[in-house]
Amino acid sequence: MTAVPGSEVAIRATGIVKHFGHLEALRGADLVLRPGQILALVGDNGAGKSTLTKIICGALAPDDGELRFWDEPVRVQSTRHAHELGVYTVYQDLALAPDLSVADNLFLGREAIAGGWQGWFGVLERGAMHVETRAALGRLGINVRNLNVPVRNLSGGQRQALAVARAINWATTAVLMDEPTAALGPMQSAIVYETVKAAAARGLAVLVISHDIPRMLSVAHRIAVMRHGRVITELDAGAVKLADVIGLMLGEEVAA
Amino acid sequence: MTREEALEIAAAAGAEETIGAPEPEIREGWLALARGSTAFWIGAVIVAIAILFGLVSPNNVFVKADNLLTIGLNASQIMLLAIGMTFLIGAAQLDLSIGFSLILASVLSAKTIVALGGTTEQVARGEYPNLALAVTAGIVVAIGAGAGIGLLNGLLVTRLRLNSFIVTLATSGIAYGVALILTSAANVPFVPDQLQSGFGAAKFLGVIPYPLVVALVVAGFFWWVLRRTRFGLRTLAIGSSREAAIRAGIDVDAHLVKLFVLMGALVGVAAVFDLARNASTNVVGHQSDNLAAIAAVVIGGTSLFGGIASVGGSLLGTLIPVMLGNGLVIMRVEPFYQFVAVGVILILAVYFDQRRRERSS
Ligand SMILES: Nc1ncnc2c1ncn2[C@@H]1O[C@H](COP(=O)(O)OP(=O)(O)OP(=O)(O)O)[C@@H](O)[C@H]1O
Ligand SMILES: [Mg+2]
Repeated sequence: MTAVPGSEVAIRATGIVKHFGHLEALRGADLVLRPGQILALVGDNGAGKSTLTKIICGALAPDDGELRFWDEPVRVQSTRHAHELGVYTVYQDLALAPDLSVADNLFLGREAIAGGWQGWFGVLERGAMHVETRAALGRLGINVRNLNVPVRNLSGGQRQALAVARAINWATTAVLMDEPTAALGPMQSAIVYETVKAAAARGLAVLVISHDIPRMLSVAHRIAVMRHGRVITELDAGAVKLADVIGLMLGEEVAA
Repeated sequence: MTREEALEIAAAAGAEETIGAPEPEIREGWLALARGSTAFWIGAVIVAIAILFGLVSPNNVFVKADNLLTIGLNASQIMLLAIGMTFLIGAAQLDLSIGFSLILASVLSAKTIVALGGTTEQVARGEYPNLALAVTAGIVVAIGAGAGIGLLNGLLVTRLRLNSFIVTLATSGIAYGVALILTSAANVPFVPDQLQSGFGAAKFLGVIPYPLVVALVVAGFFWWVLRRTRFGLRTLAIGSSREAAIRAGIDVDAHLVKLFVLMGALVGVAAVFDLARNASTNVVGHQSDNLAAIAAVVIGGTSLFGGIASVGGSLLGTLIPVMLGNGLVIMRVEPFYQFVAVGVILILAVYFDQRRRERSS
């Protein structure tokens, strides 16, 4: 697979450090996300992938290091701030509100509000919300019969698809996806990755964390390997072998 | 593989996911139905109480229109409190300070009205040259005091990251103490009777007590807010999963402060009702308001775990304790049994709520 070219960088993380008490989860991690490019982030359990993602999307504050969006240094204060920068995330735990409906979850934080006096009260436009939710899920091959069911009643795979649909629907700069297909069957994950490719083709920068390395080698343009809180290398996904990636993850020296 | 190909494969393999499987079949029998639907369950209890007291009360006075309106009037204050509590519990918070905040708000309001109504000699004679101004100021002070305590609760909960149960238990004590210090535990004298004749004991179109009308209008408004607006949606989102709400970009702390202020403002309105109904403060009352409001909300189907709330259910829930109290008085039985009954019903409601959660997760 050919990498999408372009010297433009959507997001650049440099020297990110994060401690949890005495634990040093990130020790100077660097990452570059380019528009139109899918970057796979792989690494052993506890390598710091989720932590790095959460720092980029404002869910955690770094102890040190710098984030740049379109080459501007930005201190991302909150997930809301990241949303304003066009960055949306599929969290490993999905971050859905189980009691709210499918449509309300998709729109949570970005609710469609009616015009006129109703807008003053923040009256929801549930009709429009339903139409858009149906379309967003439809693009992932999910046929929605009742958008009013609480998310609690969905299967694990359906929830994951909803979280993916939500992030892709709102992102304008980048989508960060932390194991977006872990609960999905093979067909559903194929569809998710095709949707991810389509999103990248539209110009989004995409970060995918996954333990499915063979899949990453075929889906991603570039592959970044994390170990012990650092991104130790970034390779062209088309040119690297599975065994090499696994070796890097586990700490073997590999001739580049 | 293209997206279309993948979709084709998926469709061929029958993998197309469907959300919203048909509702599970309702088991036969009203007991099974009752267990499924909270509204049905409260409705059944209310009807049962009405039938029971209707049958045993002399001349069936319990179910006469007059008495039913009295029940509505007596429930009007708890209705206001339960509306605010529905939002708070829906957001997985609690406010135990409402009963004593109400006393403090009514004391401050009464003192304002008496001070502005006329000179000491005038008000002692029952003359209030500045009645309209004094009452307006009194209403503003009551709502302001309630909202102020709510603001304090909200800031303590969000800024200090303290549990709302403990914070409001503490501020409850503070409010009570301040109210007693200000009054030396005696009711504020010379509250104008006009409050009672003009509002507390007055009837809309000569039929429906004004406090009940106001409570129902407020309830209707907040039913709409909870169901139809972003504010309501975000309230339930926070209660359902605070983390999900934060990640969705919602300013959870600011929203929680608003909810506590809303609760406090409604406490202030209830304090005005208190003055208007009794033409006096009631500094030794309101001991059971917290229980009544929380019980009404939980009985009404709002989940103590947050995320699910119903203003309509809470309204119905307020009727149960009031009906019990009213019925027992008519029966010339000590009305205090109502507290025992409400406690038992509350435990049952919480138990059912918990069971429902365990089953669905
Ligand atoms: N909130 C937290 N508090 C304390 N320690 C944490 C917290 N979050 C993560 N850690 C620790 O930081 C390290 C990195 O965790 P992280 O979740 O980023 O790993 P990961 O690469 O995403 O792993 P996995 O593949 O298992 O998801 C781990 O040792 C983890 O235990
Ligand atoms: Mg992780």
